[in-house]
Amino acid sequence: MTSPITTLDTQARPSLTGERILIYHLRDVIKTREAEGAAFRLRVPSLQIALGEKIALIGESGCGKSTLLDMLSMTLRPTEIGSFRFRPKRGADPVDISALWRKKQLDQLGDLRRLRIGYVMQTGGLLPYLTVRENINLSRRLLDIEDDGLVDELAGDLDIRRHLDKHPHMLSVGERQRVAIGRALAHRPAIVIADEPTASLDPIAAERIMSLFIELVDELHITVILASHAWRHINRLGLRHLEHHTHREEDGSMTETVVSG
Amino acid sequence: MPHRFKDVLWLAGRDYRNEWQMSSFFILALAAVLGPMMILFGLKFGIVGSMLDNLIEDPRNREVRPIGSGRYDQAWIGKMRSRPKIDFIVPRTRAIAATIDLKSETANRIISVEMIPTDRGDPLLSHRTVPNDLQQLVLSNSAARKLNVKPGDEINGSLSRRFKGRSERVHVRLQVVDVARPASFARDGAFTTLHLAEAAEDFRDGHAVPPLGWSGVEDTNNTRTYPGFRLYTRSIYDVAPISDTLGELGIEVSTRAADIEIVQSLDRNLSMVFWLIAVIGLVGFSFSLGASLWANVDRKRKELSVLRLVGFRTGEIVWFPVLQSSFTALFGWLTASLIYLGVSFIINRMFTPQLASSESVCRLLPEHFLIALTLTLGSAVFTASLAGYRAARIEPSEGLREV
Repeated sequence: MTSPITTLDTQARPSLTGERILIYHLRDVIKTREAEGAAFRLRVPSLQIALGEKIALIGESGCGKSTLLDMLSMTLRPTEIGSFRFRPKRGADPVDISALWRKKQLDQLGDLRRLRIGYVMQTGGLLPYLTVRENINLSRRLLDIEDDGLVDELAGDLDIRRHLDKHPHMLSVGERQRVAIGRALAHRPAIVIADEPTASLDPIAAERIMSLFIELVDELHITVILASHAWRHINRLGLRHLEHHTHREEDGSMTETVVSG
Repeated sequence: MPHRFKDVLWLAGRDYRNEWQMSSFFILALAAVLGPMMILFGLKFGIVGSMLDNLIEDPRNREVRPIGSGRYDQAWIGKMRSRPKIDFIVPRTRAIAATIDLKSETANRIISVEMIPTDRGDPLLSHRTVPNDLQQLVLSNSAARKLNVKPGDEINGSLSRRFKGRSERVHVRLQVVDVARPASFARDGAFTTLHLAEAAEDFRDGHAVPPLGWSGVEDTNNTRTYPGFRLYTRSIYDVAPISDTLGELGIEVSTRAADIEIVQSLDRNLSMVFWLIAVIGLVGFSFSLGASLWANVDRKRKELSVLRLVGFRTGEIVWFPVLQSSFTALFGWLTASLIYLGVSFIINRMFTPQLASSESVCRLLPEHFLIALTLTLGSAVFTASLAGYRAARIEPSEGLREV
């Protein structure tokens, strides 16, 4: 890994630390859905996401963004899997996700989520019966992480420190999204998946929170996959666009989205 | 797992507290079903229990009394005594010969009393001193009152007979060793040793009684037979089998079996009524709790899927509704117990004048509270686990995008 060749490698993008570690490595993963005669298919011929990368998935709603995110967060079972490997850490062996789905080892998938993944939803997804502090700390609590000041630090960075002891219903929508971001990052996951985290905010607040989010992710060296339909300000944050093409059958019976990158 | 159970307990508790209006509504609904049920059962248990206690405590209910007179010797009596269902048996002498006139120095009248042969273990004289020689006796309460005597006093007993054409009277000094409870014997009576009763019978038959210095014909017949006996079974439930046994021997008996049967069937029927009401109440409550928990799973779909998303396992999610309905069961039971305690206190106060000090109209034992708790928890957990099963089937992704 100290070989000068790898540092000169121009193909792998974030190669500051040397070898390019693939946190996600998918091949021929397909999800098919059928509803009222109209079929939808998401096809991923090949997808490689490296540790530390920042990925943007931009497109209109209904194009299959959420389906892809759900599969990447291991909450949705793909219809067909060529191969699906997840390697959350340098030095760790890749986990064969397709085998876990095949053997229905949902608990192991849950354990992986708890330990390695942070998720920011479109709207909050906060637990109404917990205070802001407890909501942010939830992911840490489940892993028994001692308080190292990160929750307070995040709250400070996200400008919600004065709300820490309130319940979510007393906060504005934007403040709740900040709390959700805090929760997704507090246990220092390997990857954060954010599904339209600013869709319910006005453009100015959306831009501010999005910048803050990317800043925090950078600071904590967390890989991020972000779905959004507003691409203008995303462009300025230096994220890699994930290519995808959607095409519909003329009679509307079939929609297929192909993602690769 | 036991570790994250702590987290589920914490979350379920926080949710339960946060929705305290909803939670207390269900706690009160449960208490409204369970409280009256406990009061009803308390009344049944208290009233029927006191009736049964009275039956059991009153030894007269264990008595099996032969009708008419027979001929029983000591050997037969001894054989009966060895039966395990028989608590006490002592032979009786002829009723007509078993009277004695008593006079004390503290009262100026002579009363004629029935002599009742007794012995150690006489149920009518439990916790009382029992006479153990010819010149001791225990007076019935009414006799002691009329003679104005107390335990330890000496009184004079006298018997008379017509012997060889003239009337004779003998006297004997008797010591009152104790006074029987009023309930034991309502008339004027004296509990004496069998020997004194036999002596009185012998004297009246014209026989001599050397130990008391009474003269008469020497008794030649050595095997004495008795016309009757006093028999008490060990419990009221032994009365029927012992009556049957005696019936098979051709001895007709009278008992209070009918009274016992009435209370027992009252107990059975009231228990049936109670359980009917209890089952209807509990089933009804389980349905309403079940329906609400079921609806809760829909209402909290998003929150539950958030929990799945942050990595809770299927088995852990099931605990969520189960724990919350256990809270309802526990607090509902506590409230119902408090309602019961208050109401039973008032009921028992209202009936105080009609009751003996140890009796209560409305009464529950500690185990009854535990049974109520177990039943409530059981039905709550059962209905909740159906809802929990449903909650566990929520896909982590399905609740996420509902707005």
